[in-house]
Amino acid sequence: MTPTHTEHRRLPIVDAHGAVDHAAGAALFNADVERTGWHDGALWFVREKRDRAAATVPEWEALRDLASAIKTHTLSRLDEYLALFERRATARGITVHWARDAAEHNEIVHGILAARGARRMVKSKSMLTEECGLNDYLAARGIEVVDTDLGERIVQLRHEPPSHIVMPAIHLKKEEIGETFHEHLGTPAGLADPDVLTAAARVHLRERFLGADAALTGVNFGIAETGGIVVITNEGNADLGTALAPVHIASMGIEKLVPRAADLGVFLRLLARSATGQASSVYASHMHAPRPGQAMHVVLVDNGRSTQLGRADFWGSLKCIRCAACINTCPVYRRSGGYSYGSTVPGPIGSVLTPGLDLAKYAALPFASTLCGSCSAVCPVKVDLDAQLYRWRQQVVAAGHVSPAKGWFMRRLGGMLADPELLQLAGSAARVALRVLPSALARRLAGGWGATRALPEAPRGSFREWRRANRPGEP
Amino acid sequence: MSARDDILRAVRAARGATFAGGEPPPLPALPAAPRVWGEAAVGLVEQFTAAALAAASNVVRITRAALPQVIEATAGVTPSAASGRVGDDLRVLSMVAAIPGTVALPDDPHALAQLDLFVCEGVIGVAENGAIWLPASQLGERAALVLATEVIVVLARSAIVPTMHAAYAAVDVSAEAFGVFLAGPSKTADIEQSLVIGAHGAKGLTVCLVDD
Amino acid sequence: MRVALFAPCFVDQLVPSAAIAAVRVLERLGVEVALPGGAACCGQPPANAGFAAAGEPALDRFVQTFAPYDHVVVLSGSCTVHVKGHAAALGPAGARVAARTIEFCTFLHDIVGLAAVRALGASCRERVAVHVGCHALRGLDLATPSELQRPAVDKVRALLETVDGLSFATLGRRDECCGFGGSFSVSEPAVSTRMGRDRLHDMRTHGATAIVSTDVSCVLHLQGIDRASGGALPMWHVAEVLARRGATDDATTAP
Repeated sequence: MTPTHTEHRRLPIVDAHGAVDHAAGAALFNADVERTGWHDGALWFVREKRDRAAATVPEWEALRDLASAIKTHTLSRLDEYLALFERRATARGITVHWARDAAEHNEIVHGILAARGARRMVKSKSMLTEECGLNDYLAARGIEVVDTDLGERIVQLRHEPPSHIVMPAIHLKKEEIGETFHEHLGTPAGLADPDVLTAAARVHLRERFLGADAALTGVNFGIAETGGIVVITNEGNADLGTALAPVHIASMGIEKLVPRAADLGVFLRLLARSATGQASSVYASHMHAPRPGQAMHVVLVDNGRSTQLGRADFWGSLKCIRCAACINTCPVYRRSGGYSYGSTVPGPIGSVLTPGLDLAKYAALPFASTLCGSCSAVCPVKVDLDAQLYRWRQQVVAAGHVSPAKGWFMRRLGGMLADPELLQLAGSAARVALRVLPSALARRLAGGWGATRALPEAPRGSFREWRRANRPGEP
Repeated sequence: MSARDDILRAVRAARGATFAGGEPPPLPALPAAPRVWGEAAVGLVEQFTAAALAAASNVVRITRAALPQVIEATAGVTPSAASGRVGDDLRVLSMVAAIPGTVALPDDPHALAQLDLFVCEGVIGVAENGAIWLPASQLGERAALVLATEVIVVLARSAIVPTMHAAYAAVDVSAEAFGVFLAGPSKTADIEQSLVIGAHGAKGLTVCLVDD
Repeated sequence: MRVALFAPCFVDQLVPSAAIAAVRVLERLGVEVALPGGAACCGQPPANAGFAAAGEPALDRFVQTFAPYDHVVVLSGSCTVHVKGHAAALGPAGARVAARTIEFCTFLHDIVGLAAVRALGASCRERVAVHVGCHALRGLDLATPSELQRPAVDKVRALLETVDGLSFATLGRRDECCGFGGSFSVSEPAVSTRMGRDRLHDMRTHGATAIVSTDVSCVLHLQGIDRASGGALPMWHVAEVLARRGATDDATTAP
């Protein structure tokens, strides 16, 4: 029986100034060596499925170029496309709302529900509503929100946030989910069979679907030319909500538009293959008007997106279609888990989106990376993630969010690296120390490097010295 | 200033600054999407079948003339879940004229909560991923698609196109209030990535490929 | 043909054998090698840590030192990417140097050619795990990254296949990052070390008896972790393997 894993409840680790300390969170995560290996293996498995799926599409790289170009064009004229979308949607009977920030979004959603006297809402996956803290806002106002995506329902019952934007419960083992269902759904203790657990969730959530006053969904894509929205799931939970409830609210980030319905051909070929390795998600629902007798609302949300669009270095992150391929491939995410980032969206895309919202709080995130570039290579819309991480690092330093000691050290280091004689001196001292000191002491003196690594054997001299001895006459 | 005005103004200013100078990024032309007819279509049927099977659908070949018996004919591959209902007790909603159902389209979709089987006809199928386009007019009641324990979708073999590009060229997804590209029965892998068929929607999907 | 060779700061001071081997290999290939000493570092370490300005003086020294040369061969993938990505911002001289800067393996493969490299007669009886540094891999087209759907190209493997007796371990994760990442190695030691351990484990369990890499920085990190747990896996830069000729292995002897 796997003991309940509770370490992650201590994550994220936040320092005295309220800044997320990813390194400390990652260290806590890594303390459980076996669990880290399990988590890493689970995410790598998804990466491999993505690779196999991409390999079945000979024009894969051309599709990525197309998807990037479509999103870039859309963002370059986003205000025009938003106005067009509103016009077309409104003409079809959809009510379009605009929210400048999370607070306005929550007020609008609540307003729609309160006007209908709605008390029970079912919700399919929407990272935007996570970002806005909608569930807690509504709960405080007496509205029950049931997350219906299985992974989201699991973490909701556990009072935990999702740790991954596509697979919210990827950090949990089936025994732990079994415990949660035993506690909240009354399933037998010790049950850990995924088929049986899912069947129990099916029954439990069916009741909620059938009794819902309202359904809220996210939006994968908004189509500007038609005013329609596309909501994509594997479970069918978005459709169960919206096909039954008298009110449908769709929360949509303003960056989710594409110009033409035909553009969806490109994105739908890339999305599921990038996210889970499937050729297609099960349900790609296109909604252009309310059901007869139903009210349908779309809430367009800014919440920092227009600001990001104005950042020459970082607007590219708005091309994101939330597939999580970057998260799955990131060797650091796989070995530190979503909670260590302390942000709604973790991993590489989270680390280029979130610092834009609060640079002081999230200053550590761009450094939670080796800049290996795997993320950029899997991104279906070619967000230059690793380049943006590098540029965010410059911003963090320029804004003064690194310790004075580090700043002093880096400037001294920069001076030394520009001075071959100084570097030679430092190198000589290091070589002497390596030769003379007991290795344990040398490792301790080598600080963070030496904590887990042996130090190299000291060469007799530097290459510079060899050159002087063997290639006289060189400048 | 309304929120709408503020947002549009902020967006316009932001994109104006970011994309100032140089050529405005163009909207690219999309790949040509030929619809394949006749001989070439045979390969598409094979490809569609393989993709549908990979998405955990069942695929059967049937003639139009044999459609009225399709429910009995496919009973072996579409076991009706735990309801235990058989024969005339089976709750079937059929949107295909040739296939008899046992319940009528209700006014209130909640009435379909115990639906055992839903039968409908797809407009086009997509060979690369086994998806089928089902607009509202084919569904009658869209809740039926996700409330039913089992779903049968009839699809003409000649209605299969190669890729999603071809699909969007073949249908106008905005023509009706609702439409869905359906690729298989409902599924989830949210519990330790174990694939479970039949999350909240249909537990089984059978595609009946009909020769015209 | 005359080239200038640049040995990165840590190669210069801590692993000169890699640079000496590179000189020997180039000269055996008939390439005249200049070794200007005016620049010690490309400036990447502070730049990657967010202190681009602190790294500029070093990068500027690099540009000035190597401006007179038609080919600047750099013994590191990550240094090459840094120079090619950032030197142009320093001005026209920087842009010229950036255009002429080429990584060592790329130079051997693309400019010198495999036939000449094969004629070196290098010999090394090991089953090697090839570790192409991430910047070299995804920034320099040294090999096709496993994420991309492109025809498979592997210049490093092609070079090593000219070495008599060398066989190759097939890894479970062909090109996962080793976890070095510059200052990441000390700012996130838990993840960095875990990544290194996992990479080594992959290499060992797939039968590697040695590791060959395009980047000595990766090697120092992997070697440090390996030795800390009592391991003794030999680890070399590509140049060191190409410089080996049979039992009389004179190539890598440092002074």
